[in-house]
Amino acid sequence: MTEKMLYNVSGAPFVRSKTDTSTIMRDVLIALVPALAVAVWQFGLKALLNVVVSVVACVAFEYIYRKLMKKHDTIGDLSACVTGVLMVYCMPVGVSWWMIVLGAFFAIIVVKQLYGGIGKNFLNPALAGRAFLLSYPVAMTTYAIPSALSGVVDGETMATPLSYMYAGEALPEYFSLGNLFLGGISGCIGEVSALALILGGAYLLYRKVISWRIPVTFIGTVAVLTLVFGHEGYGNVEWMLLNLCSGGLMLGAIFMATDYCTSPVTPNGQLIFGVGCGILTVLIRYFGGYAEGVSYAILLMNLLTWAIDKATPQTQFGISKADKKVAEAEKKAEKAAVKAEKLQKQVEKLHAEGGHK
Amino acid sequence: MPFKYYGGVHPDEMKQPHLAVSTIPQPSQVVIPLQMHIGAPCQPLVKVGDQVTMGQKIGDNPAPLCAPIHATVSGKVVAIEPRRHCVVGDLVPSIVIENDGLDTPCTDLAPLTEEELKNPEAIIQRIREAGVVGMGGAMFPTHFKIQGGRGKVDTLIINGAECEPYLNGDHRTMLEHPVELLKGIELVRIAQGVDTAYYGIEENKQDAIDLLNSLNPEQYGVVIVPEKVKYPQGAEKMQVKANTNREVKPGGIPSGVGCNVVSTFTAYSVYRACYEGRPLIERVLSVGGSAIEPANVLIRFGTPIQHVIDNLGGFKRPIDRIVLGGPMMGFASFDQSCGLIKGISGLLCFTEDENRDVEHPTCIRCGKCIEVCPMKLQPIHMYMYTQKKDYEAMQKFHVMDCFECGSCTYNCPGRLPLTPTFKMGKAMLKANDAKMRAKAEAAEKK
Repeated sequence: MTEKMLYNVSGAPFVRSKTDTSTIMRDVLIALVPALAVAVWQFGLKALLNVVVSVVACVAFEYIYRKLMKKHDTIGDLSACVTGVLMVYCMPVGVSWWMIVLGAFFAIIVVKQLYGGIGKNFLNPALAGRAFLLSYPVAMTTYAIPSALSGVVDGETMATPLSYMYAGEALPEYFSLGNLFLGGISGCIGEVSALALILGGAYLLYRKVISWRIPVTFIGTVAVLTLVFGHEGYGNVEWMLLNLCSGGLMLGAIFMATDYCTSPVTPNGQLIFGVGCGILTVLIRYFGGYAEGVSYAILLMNLLTWAIDKATPQTQFGISKADKKVAEAEKKAEKAAVKAEKLQKQVEKLHAEGGHK
Repeated sequence: MPFKYYGGVHPDEMKQPHLAVSTIPQPSQVVIPLQMHIGAPCQPLVKVGDQVTMGQKIGDNPAPLCAPIHATVSGKVVAIEPRRHCVVGDLVPSIVIENDGLDTPCTDLAPLTEEELKNPEAIIQRIREAGVVGMGGAMFPTHFKIQGGRGKVDTLIINGAECEPYLNGDHRTMLEHPVELLKGIELVRIAQGVDTAYYGIEENKQDAIDLLNSLNPEQYGVVIVPEKVKYPQGAEKMQVKANTNREVKPGGIPSGVGCNVVSTFTAYSVYRACYEGRPLIERVLSVGGSAIEPANVLIRFGTPIQHVIDNLGGFKRPIDRIVLGGPMMGFASFDQSCGLIKGISGLLCFTEDENRDVEHPTCIRCGKCIEVCPMKLQPIHMYMYTQKKDYEAMQKFHVMDCFECGSCTYNCPGRLPLTPTFKMGKAMLKANDAKMRAKAEAAEKK
C-alpha cells in the first residue's frame, strides 16, 4: 500500500455536495430537451442543426479564448453549451449559420470572457447575443411556418401571435390557445411550446437548480398586469393566457431570468427582480414598437442586479423586526447628531466672525 | 413540535449506528495535553518519574475557567514537555505517561452520596473535579457553563442531534446506557435549577427516541423532542431555536435568552462522575471514511491517532486526508503521533475519491450559500470582501457572526473555500481590532 508522507490538510468542511457547476449546467441542458423536441417537430432538422452550430461555436470560442489568454480551460463546466442552446432557442429557424457564429462570438467573447468568464458577466450572454443579432432585423424576425400549420397558412413565412395581438388585429383562428400551449405556432425555435418549457422548469425546480422566486414572480406579474389591463377585442382572462403562452415569456422566465450570474443572489432581491422583469415585459409589449418584450426586460433587469443585491440584504438570525427598527432609529439619531454638531460649529464660527467685526 | 429555522443542508449521513461500542488495546504511552478545554491551561500536579493511577488528577489551575485533566492510564510519568496538539497545531505542554497495563484505578473521587446527588453545588463541584467539558467539540468547561447560567437560565436543552455525518457516539450512548444518560441529564437539570430538560434528538435516531421514551423520562424531568434531520441541527443556536423559538442575538450566547445547551456525552460523563466517581478519561470515537474499517470505539484521552488506526487494521485504501471530529466542522490531522483529546468525536480517513475540491474554484453567483446559511448571512459577499481584506465591508456583512458550520461550503457548486476563508477573516478582523485599539490608546496617551 502506498502511503503519502504529506496528507491533505485543507480546512473544514471535508464533504461537499454532489452538485457542482457542471451537474447544474447538465441539468439545464436536460431541461431544455423537451423544447428541442418540439422545435424539431415544428421546424424540422434545421432547428437541430442550428443548435449544434451554436453549441460548437460557443464552446470553440470559449476554448480558443481561454487558450490564447493562458487561462485554465472551462469548457468542462458546460456553461458555454447552455449559452449556445439558449441563444439559438431565441432565434427563428431561418437564420444563417454565420449569424449564429457571429452571435456566439459576441455572447462568449465580448459579454462573457472579456469580463472574466463564468460568474463575472453582468448580461445574460445568450440574450446579449440575440440582441446583438437584431441588427439584422429582417433575418431575426422572419418566422417559418411550423409543421402544425402547414397547409393552413399560405406562403413561406408568417407573423407571430404577439405581432397580431399588439397590432390591434384579431388573432387568426389557427392561433388557438391549445396551439400556443403545445407549440404549434410560429416564433423562435425554443419558445413556441409553453408546455415543453414548463416541463423543463419543473425538472429544474425538482433538481433545485433554480428556485421558484424569479419564474413565479416574473410570470405572475405578467399575468396580473395583463389580466387587469386587458386589451380591446379580447376577454381579460383570454388576453392573459395568450400573453403567458406567446412570445419568449416561458423561455425567458424559466431559463434566462434565472441565469445565476445575472440575477440577484438574495431571496428578496430575486422577488424584486422577477417583478421588475414582469413589469418591463408588459410595458414593452404594450407601448414598445416591438411586440416581444421579454429579452429586453431581462437585459435591463440584469443591469440592476448588483443594485438590487445591495438593497436587499438578508436579516441576520437573531435580529427581530423590533431590533431592526431600533437599529434604524439609532442610525437616524446618529446622523441627526452629526448634523446638529456641524450646525453648532457653523454657528460658533459665524459668531466668532461676527465678533471680529 | 420543534420550531423551524432558515437554511441548513442534508449531507449524506454515512452513519454506522448499528456498530456497538468496542474497545481496543490501550496504547503503551499516552500524550495528554495540559489544555483540553477553553480557558486557562492546567499546571502539572505531577513530576517526571511519578507513578500515577488511572483517573488521578495530574493537572489543574485555580482559575475559574478551567477543567482539570486526569491520567487516563496507570503508570509512570516519563515526560512533561511541549508536544504537538492535535487540533491547535502548536506545541503545548503535555504529560506523557508510560502505561503499565494494570489500569489501577484512582480512588480520590468517591461516588456522591444520596444527599449530594440532590445538591446543585455538590454536583457542580464534582463536574469540575471530574474535568467534564462540552463534548460536542467546543470543550467549554461544563461546571462554568452551568454555574454561569444559574438564575439566568430557565430552559435546559440537551443536545442529542448529532447532525454531523459519520458520527454515532451520542446515538450509541443513548442505546447502550439509556438509564445512566437520563440520570446524568437529571443531575445537570438539578445543578441548573430547572424543572424540565428538553432532549432534542434528530428523527434519524428513532430507535433511541423510542427506547428513551419507554424508560419514562418524565421521572427524571426529561422531555424528548424529536427534531427534523437537518444540518446544523446540533448547533447551540439552532437547538435553542428549535426547542424554544428563541433566537440568540448575533454575538450572544444561549444563556442570553435563558437557555443552556449541554451535549449528550457530557450528560453521560456527569452521570459517571457523580454516581461512579469516575473522572472524564474516555469517550466514544466514531471511525469512518472509506480508507478504514468503520467502528465506534471507546478511547482514552491521549491515545495517539496512529494507535487507533493500527488497531483497526490500518488503512484499506490510499489515504488522502485524516479528519478529527465531524466532516463538516472537524480539523484535518497533520501529525498522527498526537494524542486524542476530549472534544474529538470522530476519526475519519478519506481517500482522494471523497475529495470534491477542485483546482480552480469559481463562484457562479448561484446564491446557494445564502439559501443554506442558518445565520442568514451572505457568504458570497463575505468571501468577496474577505479576499479583498476590506475590513469595513467584512463587518458590514457580519463575518464575525459566522459560526463556521460549513453549510455554505458544502453546498457551493463552484467549490469555493468559503468557511476556511471566514475562519481566516475572523482572525484578521480580531487582529485589526486589536491594532486599532492599540493605536487609539497610543493616541490617547499623547
